[in-house]
Amino acid sequence: MTQDEWLKGKAAVVGIGHTAYGRRGQFVERGSFSLVIEAVQKACDDAGIDPRDIDGWTSYSNDVNQGGLLAAAFGTKRLRFTGMGWGGGGGAMGGAYLYAAMAVATGQADYVAVVRGVTMPDNGRFGRMGTTEGPPYGLMTPGQAFALAARRHMYRFGTTTDDFAQIAINARLMASKNPDARFRDTITLEDHHNSPIICDPLHKLDFCMESEFGTCVILTSAERAKDLKQPPVSLLSAAMGAPPRWGDAMFGGWGGGDENVGGQYAPDDDYVTGGHRTVAEDLYAKAGLGPNDVDVAEIYDHFTPMVIMGIEDFQFCKKGEGGGFVSDGKIGLGPGQLPLNTHGGNLAEVYAHGMTHVFEAVRQIRGTSYNQVPDAEVALVVAGASMAPTSAMLFGK
Amino acid sequence: MSERMPGFGAPHLTALNEGYWKAAGQGRLVIQRCDDCGTHRHVPVEICYQCHSRNWHWDEVPGTGRVFSYTWVDRPLSPELAQAGVYNISVVELDGVVGTIRLLTNVFGVDKDTLECDLPVKVAFDRVDDEIALPVFEPAFALNEAERVSAGKVSA
Repeated sequence: MTQDEWLKGKAAVVGIGHTAYGRRGQFVERGSFSLVIEAVQKACDDAGIDPRDIDGWTSYSNDVNQGGLLAAAFGTKRLRFTGMGWGGGGGAMGGAYLYAAMAVATGQADYVAVVRGVTMPDNGRFGRMGTTEGPPYGLMTPGQAFALAARRHMYRFGTTTDDFAQIAINARLMASKNPDARFRDTITLEDHHNSPIICDPLHKLDFCMESEFGTCVILTSAERAKDLKQPPVSLLSAAMGAPPRWGDAMFGGWGGGDENVGGQYAPDDDYVTGGHRTVAEDLYAKAGLGPNDVDVAEIYDHFTPMVIMGIEDFQFCKKGEGGGFVSDGKIGLGPGQLPLNTHGGNLAEVYAHGMTHVFEAVRQIRGTSYNQVPDAEVALVVAGASMAPTSAMLFGK
Repeated sequence: MSERMPGFGAPHLTALNEGYWKAAGQGRLVIQRCDDCGTHRHVPVEICYQCHSRNWHWDEVPGTGRVFSYTWVDRPLSPELAQAGVYNISVVELDGVVGTIRLLTNVFGVDKDTLECDLPVKVAFDRVDDEIALPVFEPAFALNEAERVSAGKVSA
């Protein structure tokens, strides 16, 4: 074992839990704290543990549901660890899992709950940023920012909006088997063509939809995991980071505020990515694995082009070939295909900022997915293309 | 000078950034530059990412460059912005700087048929008030068909 692989297999997911998935505004009166509490209870039921034994809490994206308050609500016997991943969007999700894994592997905590919960009054509108009076150049949404990356990718590599459509079509097809999913009707390329343009080149069907939810994933040490209710799902690797000068990514340059640093100045070859090039290298090195070992990929799909870039970043094809990869039938559940976003993803299941991508990776390794990949042994989860840090994880048996 | 579009906010001036907006108000495009190693950087920040010097000055740059990427906002987010109709948000990579400088901006005088990556552009200034203006861009040459052909932008 190399030093890089120290954390491999030392922590495991032992419980997952979530509320119903709601449209924007559906759970406003309950609030996200209530949703997270329900999700934690369900995750503890899944794991077969007492919630009072959770002694560590982590989250990301500046989630408002603080671990210290959850510990008090549940009557935690002895709070020992909390951790928050900086950054907006879902970028630091893998960081929340990395903190959790390091904590249980090094004895800082016995059980760490990774939580994320959102209702709109707590968090404001998603998909909107900038000052109240409007930013100087009219860049107001992540969709507009990622459209800049998408356009550059199209220009450099000949990627088309029909390639983007394949990601949305796949998501709806997978969600059609998932009873929890918000959007279960399948769609065609023609539906994508007819979908209104929101910010060229992106159509409405290239966007995920604001959602309300509570989610929780519980990790413990590999040793403790052996004695619990579910077959443990091992965390093989987790990595977070960003390439040089990534900073605020496409949001930079006085798009959303005064303090954007880095931003639009990433090298051209990194601009046309989800910011995951270095994360992918670290992720695979820490697991001693490569893309050929991955049986199923759950890639954060807030906007369809970012999934194509994720497929490239995580080395399933060469840089620039992702459009052809998805349009030439290389994603799907058939022989020789890459199973992608087998729960329906942000686009079709729920926009829960990546937490349900982890749920689905866990179900695939447990063998309980609605779209089960036979004998799945390694599942990749890629967190959101976003400002730094971005992140990713590998789960396995 | 171009007319400001409704719904576009004014920049928030700080001690660090006001020189940029005030220079634009005087019709000059300036970029923060390290006194010690000469590297340009943007948006303004206290330290040089190359040599870590905290000494810097505003450096006037030629104001020419190329469109790096762009999006057309077909569905503006606010009613005020909708009055402007479909507008573009563009990224322009500047000539004549040390390091890579790309400005988030708007390109004026183009439409969906004429705005494209690598289009040569030059700076213009969109006045906010007596003191400041926003650097924006416009095509560096006329966009009639003959000139686009001669510039190699479209085939004859």
